Amino acid sequence: MGMEPRIVQDWRRWNVAVTGVNAHVESPGPGCAVARCLRECADFKGTVIGLGYDVLDAGLYARDYCHGGYLVPYPSAGKEVLLERILQIHEIERLDAIIPCLDAEIQNFIAIKGELARLGIRMLLPNRMQFLLRAKDHLGAFCQSVDVLAPESRTITNPAFFETCEAEGWEYPFVVKGIFYDAGIAHTAAEARLIFNRLVNTWGYPVLVQKLIRGDEFNLSAIGDGKGGLHGAVMMRKRGLTEKGKAWAGVTVVDKDILEMASKLVKGLSWCGPLEVEVMKGHDGKIYLIEINPRFPAWIYLSHAAGRNLPVALIRTLAGETDLQLPEARSGTFFIRYAQEIIVELPQFESMMIDGGIPSVETLLNAS
Amino acid sequence: MNNNHKVSVWEPPFIQPHRVGAINKFGNRGAKENVMREIFGVSIDDLVDQFGSPVFVTSEHQLRMNVRKIRRVFERRYNQVIHGWSYKTNYTGAICRILHQEGSWAEVVSAFEYEKARSLGVPGNRIIFNGPHKSKAILERAIAEGAYLQADHMDELKMIEQIASEQDRIVKIGIRINFDTGFTEPWSRFGFNLESGQANEAVKRISMSPHVRLTGLHSHIGTFIMEPRAYGEQVKTMCRFMRDLDDIDHINIDTLDIGGGFPSKNALQRVYLPPDQAVPDINEYADAVCDALVEETRYLEQSGRALPRLIIESGRAIVDDAQVLITSVVGTKRLPDGRRAAILDAGTNLLFTSYWYNHQVQMTREPGGVYEDTVLYGPLCMNIDVVRQSIQMPPLVYGDRLVVSPVGAYNNTQWLQFIEYRPNVVLVHEDTNVSVIRRAENLAVMNAQDEMPAHLSYRTMADEGSLPSGKTTREHLIRR
Amino acid sequence: MIEKMDTLLQRICVDGRLAKLAVSETGFIFDPQTGQSFTLNQTGLLALDLLKRGNSLEMTAQYMSDEYEVTMDVASSSLEAFLYQLGRYL
Ligand SMILES: Cc1ncc(COP(=O)(O)O)c(C=O)c1O
Repeated sequence: MGMEPRIVQDWRRWNVAVTGVNAHVESPGPGCAVARCLRECADFKGTVIGLGYDVLDAGLYARDYCHGGYLVPYPSAGKEVLLERILQIHEIERLDAIIPCLDAEIQNFIAIKGELARLGIRMLLPNRMQFLLRAKDHLGAFCQSVDVLAPESRTITNPAFFETCEAEGWEYPFVVKGIFYDAGIAHTAAEARLIFNRLVNTWGYPVLVQKLIRGDEFNLSAIGDGKGGLHGAVMMRKRGLTEKGKAWAGVTVVDKDILEMASKLVKGLSWCGPLEVEVMKGHDGKIYLIEINPRFPAWIYLSHAAGRNLPVALIRTLAGETDLQLPEARSGTFFIRYAQEIIVELPQFESMMIDGGIPSVETLLNAS
Repeated sequence: MNNNHKVSVWEPPFIQPHRVGAINKFGNRGAKENVMREIFGVSIDDLVDQFGSPVFVTSEHQLRMNVRKIRRVFERRYNQVIHGWSYKTNYTGAICRILHQEGSWAEVVSAFEYEKARSLGVPGNRIIFNGPHKSKAILERAIAEGAYLQADHMDELKMIEQIASEQDRIVKIGIRINFDTGFTEPWSRFGFNLESGQANEAVKRISMSPHVRLTGLHSHIGTFIMEPRAYGEQVKTMCRFMRDLDDIDHINIDTLDIGGGFPSKNALQRVYLPPDQAVPDINEYADAVCDALVEETRYLEQSGRALPRLIIESGRAIVDDAQVLITSVVGTKRLPDGRRAAILDAGTNLLFTSYWYNHQVQMTREPGGVYEDTVLYGPLCMNIDVVRQSIQMPPLVYGDRLVVSPVGAYNNTQWLQFIEYRPNVVLVHEDTNVSVIRRAENLAVMNAQDEMPAHLSYRTMADEGSLPSGKTTREHLIRR
Repeated sequence: MIEKMDTLLQRICVDGRLAKLAVSETGFIFDPQTGQSFTLNQTGLLALDLLKRGNSLEMTAQYMSDEYEVTMDVASSSLEAFLYQLGRYL
């Protein structure tokens, strides 16, 4: 490695890498939105590097968001390979911070956090225990321990469950979920099997089933300080849903019950790093916790619009600022997600195919 | 960036069309420093020169460390712990010996395994006899020799009872029970089911017998269990059943056997994250087991009674990473779909576990050329003989030696004698001397079990005149 | 066999099809007629380059056999397979 750590104190001049820059219309990753928050912060003069998993990840080429882009190994390839690749990128880009944005990769980043810190690359991440406690297959037990309501759920590895489940009190419809991502509502055993197979093929075992709560969906994003404190909460009510249940429209709200629940969770976990809390306000008036995601959500650009730019708050925290003095989030700010094409020239595509990256200097030189 | 040009490894020219979806040259890359020239302190080339290829290489040191660790981890949390070495995991004699030296009992599940344990010098009273098939003959011997039996079904219970009365002794036994932990798929075909009342029936049956006494409960919830909490539930359920037996039937259980099933750091297929992240540490299992055990036996402690001893029958977690397989490339191909392929001299005949693991495969020389998605085939004439469906590898050439790991669990026992001879298994001693612990098969071994009926006993077609009818071989064949 | 190969080569060369391929020294190829892109391995890159410059199959095989120290047999049979592959994609 032999590289001297380059410690830049001023976050305004940092080179920040952001993962999850896929922007598939159906289900975009949070990376592009995080990058956009950084770029649209007037004080931020650094560079943003997109880290992607596929040559068709839009953020790799979207110069309004990322100055450069690189492919990185799939999370399933493990931590050594990830470290090796990050070091290669670091040699070109001299990174100051990384903001991981995908659930499946977080454990790898936790595992190499120490090595990266020695090189001066900072990340705000939970530890492994905190991460696992909120994982979908542990969430029920954790919720009980902090007195938070959550729909009943269980892990399954054998789809035979779908034939016998009704006898065990699992009436259709219910939700079938992948261990990291993706979910579907099953109305029949046949449908459940289809979803199960799709989930296993992509994310492996186990799969979860979760009882369906009917009501309105709210999400909250914030940053945990690792000592039990929750900072900068921004709340959003989903107003338009895609077929997959993803928000394509939403509006900021302020709800003290949801905030209170999120604070309890962050405290119970001593959560460190960004997070998204997904809750359902049931028709019975109660609030149920659906999921805790260990990263910023895809709608995080709304935080910038509502006056609390959370990705910027994150890197300021990484730079050592303790008193962020974030303004209140404005309620009533809407977002509507829309698709748009970016143009990629053949040489850029070739670089991504063959070299697996486009350095940020190219963008910076072209701009000057 | 692109350094292919300096590499002069010949590879047939090839053009690969880009397909949509998951194009990422770094996607499934293996780590670079993955070159292995030595294994367990011994040169790989020396091993192959001396013992041939393929060859299984076992580490005595690793094996001892593993079993010491698992015992230490449990003993730190609970007082009386016995490790029963699950023979089926790997019953190569030297491996069993090492574990018995370390204090492990033998856990056997058949007449063969029982006899093998005895032949290795394990006394009957240090053998745990499990499994659904124990013949009368072997039960007679085991009972006479004081082995600890755990009954699987009612017919077996009856047989034990009958033998005990014939030998006029009181036999202390355990029964295997099964139940739903809520975290694992129940293995309900083994033992007596708890929820349906079968287990209670078995208890009743035993209490009616003057010759059999119930002193133990056994359950084995499955194998490669990645959820420590499953063990917490298992122990809780077993302890509560134990307490019921105590309260209601005044039966005193002194042995709780929780079976095996702890995972090794192997990559199970269809588990997304690599084992480093997906497989919990053994301490988490020990916590789950012992926390539940201490909690649920507090009533015994409070009344000053003895706590039950804990048996663990861990197999995989102890031997898996103590063995690797060295194999050689015997041919390379391009498949019509563009993937690289290599044929190895070891396939699923030796690596039965390739059906459920993505074993790690490492180069033994500095790789040259571009990494690409590669299929690794075994030598069998069978389509499913695949060691790895998909692995990123540099171009391989004839004679390349690869190290497949970990392979210590269930291969030296489940391997198939199919098409090929089975190779040498060697042991690297703690001083790095190496010796063979299971000799490679050869024709003599293969033929040793064959018997030839008299009318087939002529040797070759050239053995004219030896046919019963007095016809020559050739005539005989032509007539047919 | 060589005869048939030559016809195949001719077909690929019709309308300058081969010449129109955008071939980068990195092994990246783009076919402007179909929009398909490809990657070549290093020997493929060399072979394509030689063919594009109008070398005969024989000369190409000879060159590759010299460059990589493989027998002429090996070089020409794998070149044949490569050409068939090109024929399928172009
Ligand atoms: C009764 C019993 N005990 C122990 C084992 C060993 O299991 P493992 O290798 O998963 O520890 C097995 C394996 O199937 C078993 O059936």
